[in-house]
Amino acid sequence: MLKDITLGQYFPGNSVLHRLDPRMKIFLIVIYIITIFSASTPISFALVLLSAFVLLLLSRIPPKLVLGSLKAVFFIMAFTAIINIFWTTGDRLLLEAGPIKIYWEGVEYAIFMIVRVVALIVGSSVLLTYTTSPIALTDGLERVLSPLKALHIPVHEFSMMMTIALRFIPTLIEETDKIISAQKARGTDFSSGSITQRARALIPVMVPLFVSAFHRADELAVAMECRCYRGGEGRTRMTRLHLRSTDFFALAAHLLFLGVIIALNILFS
Amino acid sequence: MNNKISLEHVTYRYSVGTPFEKTALDDVTLGFEQGIITGLMGHTGSGKSTIAQLLNGLLRPTEGRVLLDGEDIWAEPKKIGAVRFRVGLVFQYPEYQLFEESVERDIAYGPGNMGLSQEEITERVHNAARFAGISPDLFDKSPFELSGGQKRRVAIAGVMAMEPEILVLDEPAAGLDPAGRREILGGIRAYQKEKKNTIIIISHSMEDMAIYADKLMVLDHGHVSRYGTPHEVFSHAEELKQVGLSRPQITKFIMELQRAGIPVEGGIYSVDEAYREVLRAFEKKRMGG
Repeated sequence: MLKDITLGQYFPGNSVLHRLDPRMKIFLIVIYIITIFSASTPISFALVLLSAFVLLLLSRIPPKLVLGSLKAVFFIMAFTAIINIFWTTGDRLLLEAGPIKIYWEGVEYAIFMIVRVVALIVGSSVLLTYTTSPIALTDGLERVLSPLKALHIPVHEFSMMMTIALRFIPTLIEETDKIISAQKARGTDFSSGSITQRARALIPVMVPLFVSAFHRADELAVAMECRCYRGGEGRTRMTRLHLRSTDFFALAAHLLFLGVIIALNILFS
Repeated sequence: MNNKISLEHVTYRYSVGTPFEKTALDDVTLGFEQGIITGLMGHTGSGKSTIAQLLNGLLRPTEGRVLLDGEDIWAEPKKIGAVRFRVGLVFQYPEYQLFEESVERDIAYGPGNMGLSQEEITERVHNAARFAGISPDLFDKSPFELSGGQKRRVAIAGVMAMEPEILVLDEPAAGLDPAGRREILGGIRAYQKEKKNTIIIISHSMEDMAIYADKLMVLDHGHVSRYGTPHEVFSHAEELKQVGLSRPQITKFIMELQRAGIPVEGGIYSVDEAYREVLRAFEKKRMGG
């Protein structure tokens, strides 16, 4: 059940998106998010949704996998949609039942909200997390943020922390699964009882999980020291990043798309 | 057969409906006899650990049935919790499941979940600790202060204290030194003798299973390729080799002695037996002059 959470998991492949430079992908995702949030007319929302699926197709990642990660936020989406439908007021009344008034604007707003979240999750996961190995991702981040080193911000250390954190997400999920099974075998009941009882049932999972996470951290630190890790100072790279023509083409495509969305907003507002 | 628990045409697939779908067991039928220790053996990936989790209802068969005393354990899925009290499972490297403030409280966690009285729990905890080789002066210690071997014993005691009708242990002695192995497996043996319950030990140590198991079940690609007493199973050396297992080293050693012309009897599977046999051959030679 925990294994079903696929958010932030690299899916190896060799698609166009896989081959883009991670630095460029970070820029692209910023542009893409700006695009999503600047959309404000029905047609631009339709285009945003379409673009997310184009990206999904380009990545050659099984759509089922990516759409599966939407399940995790389904309730949040449904909740915000309902709130929007009932609480947004406007001019065009759609339905009136006693004290409840539903306006067209509310429905429209709810749909936009859902499109935004879907595009955000599908687009960003396909563009970045699914198609970029964690190492390449943090490598890219470190390079993008390296100007901050001038301000004495430890960019390398942060990116190393991120690399390690990302690397251990699947391991910890597996570990959690294992501990849950072991405690179930000892009769822990996770699925019934009052809220306090269920919260208490989590103690036998959380304690061993923390203990093992600290152990792992300790072992990892020792292993890194043994290999003479001394932080980012003077560290060279095994693979150097090169921007290629496809990277600039992708950038141009994203900027163009942003331009189209802004133009549509101005035209239809 | 007098099977306490059995699998009937069980197929199990992991991650059904995802790109990672994988068949771990394919149409497996097997049974474990009542009141003995069965050693379940097989190479890595033969589905041993999957079987362990199917037996106590942590995994639900994709197809087929798991029968406990002849009844399907999934007949009423809501009551699967009760099955977990009847079939205890000790996972591989169970040390990680410890969480309580003290050893005593950790062992008492399982029995506590069963809703037993305080006296009953205390008695069971003391009993289980005795079999697992935990001295009472460790009771008030934090489980996290213990050594690896001691943690293992506390974890095993935690499941033993639930006194399940069937106890399944997945590689209980993995990664321990010979003395540690002996103590844990010997404790399990003693526990079985007293409780007369059904025990299944998953292992790939021929040496250990030759000594501590009553019957051996050899798995190969999800099928039982051999079932019988250790003597019966080990007499099929070629077949064992094919499934990636080999006879105990001591058996090979005795065979080498025979080949060197020393008059010892074959069919020996433990160091103790070998010791007596070599001694006997030696005495005989001395008497014979």
